[in-house]
Amino acid sequence: MADNLPTEFDVIIIGTGLPESILAAACSRSGQRVLHVDSRSYYGGNWASFSFSGLLSWLKEYQQNNDIGEESTVAWQDLIHETEEAITLRKKDETIQHTEAFCYASQDVEDDIEEIGALQKNPSSGVSSTFTEVLDSACLPEESQSSYFNSDEMPAKHTQKSAGEISLEIADVDESVEKEKYCGDKTCIHTVSDKDGVKDESTSTVEDDANQPNRNRITYSKIVKEGRRFNIDLVSKLLYSQGSLIDLLIKSDVSRYVEFKNVTRILAFREGKVEQVPCSRADVFNSKELTMVEKRILMKFLTFCLEYEQHPDEYQAFRQCSFSEYLKTKKLTPNLQHFVLHSIAMTSESSCTTIDGLNATKNFLQCLGRFGNTPFLFPLYGQGEIPQCFCRMCAVFGGIYCLRHKVQCFVVDKESGRCKAIIDHFGQRINAKYFIVEDGYLSEETCLNVQYKQISRAVLITDKSILKTDSDQQTSILIVPPAEPGACAVRVTELCSSTMTCMKDTYLVHLTCSSSKTAREDLESVVEKLFTPYADIEINKEELTKPRLLWALYFNMRDSSGISRSSYNGLPSNVYVCSGPDCGLGNEHAVKQAETLFQEIFPSEEFCPPPPNPEDIIFDGDDKQPEVPGTNNTVIAKLQSSEESKNLESPEKHLQN
Amino acid sequence: MSMEDYDFLFKIVLIGNAGVGKTCLVRRFTQGLFPPGQGATIGVDFMIKTVEINGEKVKLQIWDTAGQERFRSITQSYYRSANALILTYDITCEESFRCLPEWLREIEQYASNKVITVLVGNKIDLAERREVSQQRAEEFSEAQDMYYLETSAKESDNVEKLFLDLACRLISEARQNTLVNNVSSPLPGEGKSISYLTCCNFN
Repeated sequence: MADNLPTEFDVIIIGTGLPESILAAACSRSGQRVLHVDSRSYYGGNWASFSFSGLLSWLKEYQQNNDIGEESTVAWQDLIHETEEAITLRKKDETIQHTEAFCYASQDVEDDIEEIGALQKNPSSGVSSTFTEVLDSACLPEESQSSYFNSDEMPAKHTQKSAGEISLEIADVDESVEKEKYCGDKTCIHTVSDKDGVKDESTSTVEDDANQPNRNRITYSKIVKEGRRFNIDLVSKLLYSQGSLIDLLIKSDVSRYVEFKNVTRILAFREGKVEQVPCSRADVFNSKELTMVEKRILMKFLTFCLEYEQHPDEYQAFRQCSFSEYLKTKKLTPNLQHFVLHSIAMTSESSCTTIDGLNATKNFLQCLGRFGNTPFLFPLYGQGEIPQCFCRMCAVFGGIYCLRHKVQCFVVDKESGRCKAIIDHFGQRINAKYFIVEDGYLSEETCLNVQYKQISRAVLITDKSILKTDSDQQTSILIVPPAEPGACAVRVTELCSSTMTCMKDTYLVHLTCSSSKTAREDLESVVEKLFTPYADIEINKEELTKPRLLWALYFNMRDSSGISRSSYNGLPSNVYVCSGPDCGLGNEHAVKQAETLFQEIFPSEEFCPPPPNPEDIIFDGDDKQPEVPGTNNTVIAKLQSSEESKNLESPEKHLQN
Repeated sequence: MSMEDYDFLFKIVLIGNAGVGKTCLVRRFTQGLFPPGQGATIGVDFMIKTVEINGEKVKLQIWDTAGQERFRSITQSYYRSANALILTYDITCEESFRCLPEWLREIEQYASNKVITVLVGNKIDLAERREVSQQRAEEFSEAQDMYYLETSAKESDNVEKLFLDLACRLISEARQNTLVNNVSSPLPGEGKSISYLTCCNFN
């Protein structure tokens, strides 16, 4: 690394997940010197989103058991003084388990040859794209595939192509990343000039595809080729339009870095069928599925829920009952009960009380209509954008960012019991007053007494929406109630290509539930209810109404959200722990955690106040400022003083006239 | 200045290695200043300059890296919805030129397809220390289908030209295809895109 890190900070933050990133922005905004590091090469940790090839690399990391980076780290033991002791951090992430990937889209070899050939003919507009495609096509060469199938480690089931579930070839991804790096450092420019001769033929790969007939069939190689159109989130969440994350984004102005789309439909799964849930007033009246009587009953009930607190007599007697029992007493027809319980209140658990249910329904209804027809927003390019946006805010206020930076241990002063520094993988000691660390970085020893829950996740690429309508650009959320009592409901979000998370003509489907078994065991039955494996399509014509599965990934993610601080062993009081993603639909947990920790560390500071408007501190084009040395200092000085006084209006407006 | 007081608004994003003079280019253009030995730009997210081209007011919103390039940690979201990218290297620093393919890869990965990229060799006031010949850079930019320009933020050489030419190109692109600014929400699906930062305004 060309540049050395400074060694004095106020706050060091390890991990770039959502709560850590919000905290980084908050600390930096309030004038703290922040160092924000992540051991990975990407932002977000378990909150990240990936292109298709990025996801394959991520997957490979967890499927391989080798521990990279071990050799390259400098021993820290010698760097600890006598008056100090060390708390080591985990060397390898263990928050992801039971990863299983299946490819259903056809992978015929001819396709691949064609693609590679096309590549040579069409070096598209940038070096980079050539590299991406090399990287992508490197996932498929025959030799590597056969070597993969010979691998002993793989479960027998996946090695059989005839089973219709072909496990993904991913072994080559990292190799090609290596090659690519090599090119980047050394030979790249030459490679490019070599291609000068053919540059005029360049056509983008997208156009290339469009010109080919018979292409509505989406093959695996097409997914690989269009891989960068995907932004596949590891966690599947939505933003409640009146939720704390939206409020924070707006208040802190971080919203300027991100754009959103409305979730357009709330769906329900009842008696084997997917149907749309009418939730706004207009929806209810326009619904073709509901009878006039049902419409009236539903509107009456929803209107009551909005102000249920004012009518205690309506529910007082049912306080002890579950919400589902309560709904039965409200003369709602079975489908209306289903809609309210599963799709609106989203409280499928039988343990949900009447009050909780009414509250959830009220919350849902209050979020309706702020931005659109459903209570939810989805960030363009995926949820993974949001932590990055807070990181940008932190950097704008002077925070220093360092990905691929491993921390080996905390250095604790024996006498005070406080953490005073970290030692990184270069053996560099970096001092700070406060330390914030994501749970996944803590060692087994620190977490000895911690009982973790798990989240079961599935990511599917499909060719059609689960509920076809006139528009193919719908973003939907569906709650599939548990098949048996006591089990968990499964949350399904279906994203269309205009959310910038998947390629054209595909849908990206996320399934989430809290785990009772492995992700595949928990979720496969729901996947089978909603989708048809691509390979089976010829056999069962009746199933044609269901979308086809092109590709599927299952994994379990550790849920550290409910862990109390006291369960961790021997952490100094100035080391604060952020949890990884929780299982909930919204982001309220992460926001609350960040705010609580910030107030614990800096009780007198405001949490993420609005920054000065960049437009207010800039000279307008028309009134040229004289080139006086030092003028720019005064601008900055004014900006800073205005931050302190929180009076954002006065000094800058003067500059503008 | 009221929201409607311009005909076009474009987001321009600067990238390139640390120390090549990105911030100086922005400062020179927006404020007419060359800040000697400036440190990090605290609290400034982007700079605005409104220019007039053929009687039309064009508001340029120019984004800097906020130092995240120092340890190769630029957020992907930085590239989203940029209308143009200024990829900068230092003509007196071979290393900053050799890193260009890596930057191009990031652009390819994260920026919109329709983004206009300009390659800028900065610091021509230090010609006696030049390490990257103009010819090499021209060949490279041609192969990559980029515009190319050499500048000096210090002497103010070609800085106005860089941004004004870029503004002209952006206008003509916008004219040719009014969809160019809708890349972030390309399809008129039922979900309308909610943008707090309305990036472009073509009236």
